[in-house]
Amino acid sequence: MTVPATSDPADTRTAEPDGWLGWLTTTDHKRIGLLTLATSVVLLFLMGILALIMRGQLAQPGEDLIDAHTYNQVFTIHGSGMIYLVMTPFAIGLGVYLVPLQVGAPALATPRTTLLGYWLYVLGALSMLCGFAIPSGAARSGWFSYPPLADSDYSPGAGPDLWVIGVAMSAIGILLMAWAVLWTVLRKRAIGMTMLRLPVFSWSMVVTCLMVLGAFPSLLAALVLLALGRGDPAIFDSNVWNIGYQHLFWFYGHPVVYVMFFPYLAAVAEVLAVFCGRRFFGYKATVLSLLVFAALSMSVWGHHMFTTGQASNDYYSLTSILLTVPAGAEYFGMLGTLVGGRIVFRTPMLFALAFIPQFLIGGLTGIMTGTPVIDYHVTDSYFIVAHFHYTLFAGSAFGLFAAVYYWFPKVTGVMLDERLGKIHFWLLVVGANLTFLPMFGLGYKGMPRRVNTYSSVDGFGLLNLLASCGAAVLAAGMIVFAVNILRSLLRRRRGGLAPMPDNPWNAHTLEWATSSPPPPENFTPDRPLPPITSNAPLLDLPMAQKEAEGANPGKTAQPGEPAGPAERSGL
Amino acid sequence: MNQRHIFGTVFWLESAIAGGVFVVIAIILLVSLVRRRARVGLVASQRQDNRKLEISYAVVLAAFAAFLVSYTAWQNHRETGANASTAPAGHASSSAQGSGAPSKPVTVNVTAFQWCWQFGYPQAPGSLKVSDNCQGGKVPTLVVPTGREIRIHLTSKDVIHSMWVPALRYKMDAFPDHVNSFTIKIDKAGRWVGRCAEFCGERHSKMHFWLKAVPPDEYKHWVQQHAAHAGGAQA
Ligand code: HEM
Ligand SMILES: [Cu+2]
Ligand SMILES: [Cu+2]
Repeated sequence: MTVPATSDPADTRTAEPDGWLGWLTTTDHKRIGLLTLATSVVLLFLMGILALIMRGQLAQPGEDLIDAHTYNQVFTIHGSGMIYLVMTPFAIGLGVYLVPLQVGAPALATPRTTLLGYWLYVLGALSMLCGFAIPSGAARSGWFSYPPLADSDYSPGAGPDLWVIGVAMSAIGILLMAWAVLWTVLRKRAIGMTMLRLPVFSWSMVVTCLMVLGAFPSLLAALVLLALGRGDPAIFDSNVWNIGYQHLFWFYGHPVVYVMFFPYLAAVAEVLAVFCGRRFFGYKATVLSLLVFAALSMSVWGHHMFTTGQASNDYYSLTSILLTVPAGAEYFGMLGTLVGGRIVFRTPMLFALAFIPQFLIGGLTGIMTGTPVIDYHVTDSYFIVAHFHYTLFAGSAFGLFAAVYYWFPKVTGVMLDERLGKIHFWLLVVGANLTFLPMFGLGYKGMPRRVNTYSSVDGFGLLNLLASCGAAVLAAGMIVFAVNILRSLLRRRRGGLAPMPDNPWNAHTLEWATSSPPPPENFTPDRPLPPITSNAPLLDLPMAQKEAEGANPGKTAQPGEPAGPAERSGL
Repeated sequence: MNQRHIFGTVFWLESAIAGGVFVVIAIILLVSLVRRRARVGLVASQRQDNRKLEISYAVVLAAFAAFLVSYTAWQNHRETGANASTAPAGHASSSAQGSGAPSKPVTVNVTAFQWCWQFGYPQAPGSLKVSDNCQGGKVPTLVVPTGREIRIHLTSKDVIHSMWVPALRYKMDAFPDHVNSFTIKIDKAGRWVGRCAEFCGERHSKMHFWLKAVPPDEYKHWVQQHAAHAGGAQA
């Protein structure tokens, strides 16, 4: 990538080799972060294509677009890919990029291990996807690959081996990156940046990384067990190891749900605050609730196992339903921010706003599935598929898009197109609800998950057709998104875009105090750190200094509003 | 259909609560979107928090969560309480609705395998077993009497499966090397589809069975007829 002509001369001071090599061996957290983000967005598109194949196969009863063997690979890699290779790495990648900037640090605490983490993640992804290239096919026992089904007796071939290796490598990669982000917050904060002045997003990363460190080793243990079972399947003749695997897996599996939630929730919180032109309401309560949430999240894993008949219903139901308290506190903060806000409807804000009711549907149905007598019916049905797509897609992925639209100018120095962004947004809202709302009905009526087809007498045809139409709308929306990104990047390369103010949204946190994109050392003598007096330092600056920091001159009173061409020349 | 009744009560309650919460939040959201839309003269509040409101809100939430947990756990125990009723019978619930004196539960051993089901009736002469291969629409039927408790012992021959009868609103996993037991009771005659709910490989989507409830007399007749085939394998 070339250095844009308009950016800060500091960019050229980089000691790293130019071109590709420079990127691949970089220790600059912004480059590692960007690589991680870009890789996971590419994988998001790939996994989305797999989802479209499934929705094609399920659109009508008794279809034969792909056979069962292929369908099973497709849903397994879609689910595994979305979780291990998209939503988790994107969340951590955001942290790698943003946390040093937000805490006023020049670099990550452990840049080399972070780079190693990125490479492990990439190799893991390649390993998992390679399965499609071998004759016996990719892994096909689902994203949680329970033994004995996943052992070498019942799932022979190299595909599942590649899956185990791939998941393990990417998990280790994420662990290393999470460690770096956590250590950066703990040890590399700028003077004045106390823990209670961390932006909400950085706090969410602290909590997320703690969960990663607590939970991912359990995934690795589960994978080791599975690997042993692929060597000697006889160990899974014994129930102890089968149920033991489930405990190990879900001890990781539930916290990771919040690893794929908190960073997106916090991105939404930051966007809400900025486009409401005020501080996030209830900052301390939100930080506290994140900590409580994370602690509780380590104790709820058994709610995935009510129907095993081998987990304590009362205990896991208690801890699961208690999660409503911290979750409710977070909603309180978001709504409180809006109630007193001065709301500007830009694309990042639209995604953040839609996150609120859509994630809520996922959360409320989560209370239901945390109730054993309801879970008995709905678990392992399409009801669950609907539930977790509301949390992960209609929730977290909307947070992801809010983050992309919001930080894209920070990272690249150019804005994304508003009009295309709004089209993308509306297609996604319509598509997501059209796809996933009917699935609640399907599950309630008795459609199990992970079926490659169903019969016309089952009465599942109409709702499945609606869901598949929704998927087509989603696909259209994602094409618009891709066009928007590529168009902005191409325009940047060609030049000729009017220069953008460094802080186009009048945002509040430190990453916006430096140039966009930031110089390699983040803050330089001519773009120094401003004084850090609260969790929204740029809001505390006197008006004159705000202008000097590059906020829209003359428009500081109207946060988030577009900088017209006239103002742009003020730089 | 104990499970179905309990599911119905709790699901209805939680859906109503969820609906209420959703509506309240949606209204707050919409009202603030309309009223707080940026315009000249509107300034954002600079209030950072509201300690009192936050604490009372958290207390209300916690009380609500406590209610929900204990209420649903109580319902869950009602369900499993009935499950444990291999113990000396005569408890109020079964005699209240039953036709006459509560009788000993009918035991069925259910074995799941890739990719179909086997139903064993250890109390029938010649330990009657019913199975099929779930291919070409040939699925086995689990025949049970109405109005009596049916004690199911569920296991698997190979991988994990899950026995789900959507009409009963209940499922339970079938593990190899482990037996899960539960009790169902069916009030009226009829036939319902059952499915495998835990992914178990290539033909998972075809792993169906029928659950058929018939009046006790007819059931007795059915058992005698099939047991005559000396452990016959057809239904
Ligand atoms: C961020 C986005 C998404 C995430 C994180 C995600 C995650 C998952 C996961 C974890 C599974 C379960 C796989 C398994 O059972 O092993 C799954 C299944 C599935 N997803 Fe997604 N998904 C996403 C987006 C989508 C989209 C956009 C669609 C539809 C267009 C979709 C359609 C499906 C379908 C049809 C299944 C298969 C259900 C089944 O056969 O049981 N997903 N997804
Ligand atoms: Cu969970
Ligand atoms: Cu199955």
